Amino acid sequence: MSPITGRISVATAVALVALLAGCTDEGWHGKNITGLMPALEFSLTDENGNSVTEDVFAGRPVAMYFGFTHCPDICPTTLARLAAASRRLPEPLGDDLQLAFVSVDPARDGPEQLDEYTEAFSDRMLGMKGSQKQLQALTRRYRITYGYDKPDADGNYEVSHSSAIFVFDAALEPRLMLLDSLDVAQMAQDLERLLAPGD
Amino acid sequence: MKLASAIVALVVLLAGALWWVAQMAPESPIEVDNARLRLVPGGGPMAGYMEIRNHSDDVIVLIRAASPAFGNVMIHRTIVRDGQARMEHQRDGVRILPGDSAVFKPRDLHLMLMQPQVALEVGDQVEVVLEFEGIDPPDWPVAFTVVPVTSQ
Repeated sequence: MSPITGRISVATAVALVALLAGCTDEGWHGKNITGLMPALEFSLTDENGNSVTEDVFAGRPVAMYFGFTHCPDICPTTLARLAAASRRLPEPLGDDLQLAFVSVDPARDGPEQLDEYTEAFSDRMLGMKGSQKQLQALTRRYRITYGYDKPDADGNYEVSHSSAIFVFDAALEPRLMLLDSLDVAQMAQDLERLLAPGD
Repeated sequence: MKLASAIVALVVLLAGALWWVAQMAPESPIEVDNARLRLVPGGGPMAGYMEIRNHSDDVIVLIRAASPAFGNVMIHRTIVRDGQARMEHQRDGVRILPGDSAVFKPRDLHLMLMQPQVALEVGDQVEVVLEFEGIDPPDWPVAFTVVPVTSQ
């Protein structure tokens, strides 16, 4: 092992330990990732076919999930919980929080497909997709991966993706990871605690 | 004691009648409850959930499912490991031991119903035929209720 990779491994291990220790120590249901990852930055195409960057959320907190519309089980389950949790937030917090769905399956998810899909959960959920290069730039920032299985005889294929929701504050700094195992009440509690003024 | 004899006779008669009724109506080998299909807009695949109980004395295996409302139905399980979610095709089906049940629920076992052939609405009933090994006849039609995508 070269000294450089050794140092990187140690840094990764320290970050991972901090990540894993996050929730239990501070009473979050999710994982506190404050200071562990860089601010939100991306270049993608939204559900209306427009090129967008992180500026589309500027000044407002955002909860972002990475999935694909041909995902019938965990994606709708998690997105529905997130949407329900955001509706439970006291105003103006609920109105302020933006919801984002990033498709890591650009080959099947066109803008129309994304628009219809996100609309089913919340009219405040923005669907986005990107080229492989754009998606990799974004997912690497948050140390997550995605991948595709070999297509079957009908051309259907499975996609693996991160199961957590990333929550960014109004300055677009990553603050929380909401795991898919959290229920609506737990997500709402974490979001309210994070977004409440003066916190 | 005429009364005592009459009571004994009555009890014997009732027990006999109950046994006869039980023999006449044998318990269904399986039972499928809470069958629901979560509506996903946009023509993408949808998930079907249910609970299958095996009342028989044999191991049964759900090996296939099909529906006139969908081009293709597969049996899947969602696996989350180290924060990474993926779906696993249950190629060997789902085994249910005698007296046991299989629960198809969000983030777990589910039917993946692909290529919707008709426009569905919340409240619709969709027939899904489950095919088992271990019961005769093997086909078990079940009416799935279409529920909103936001239902858990």
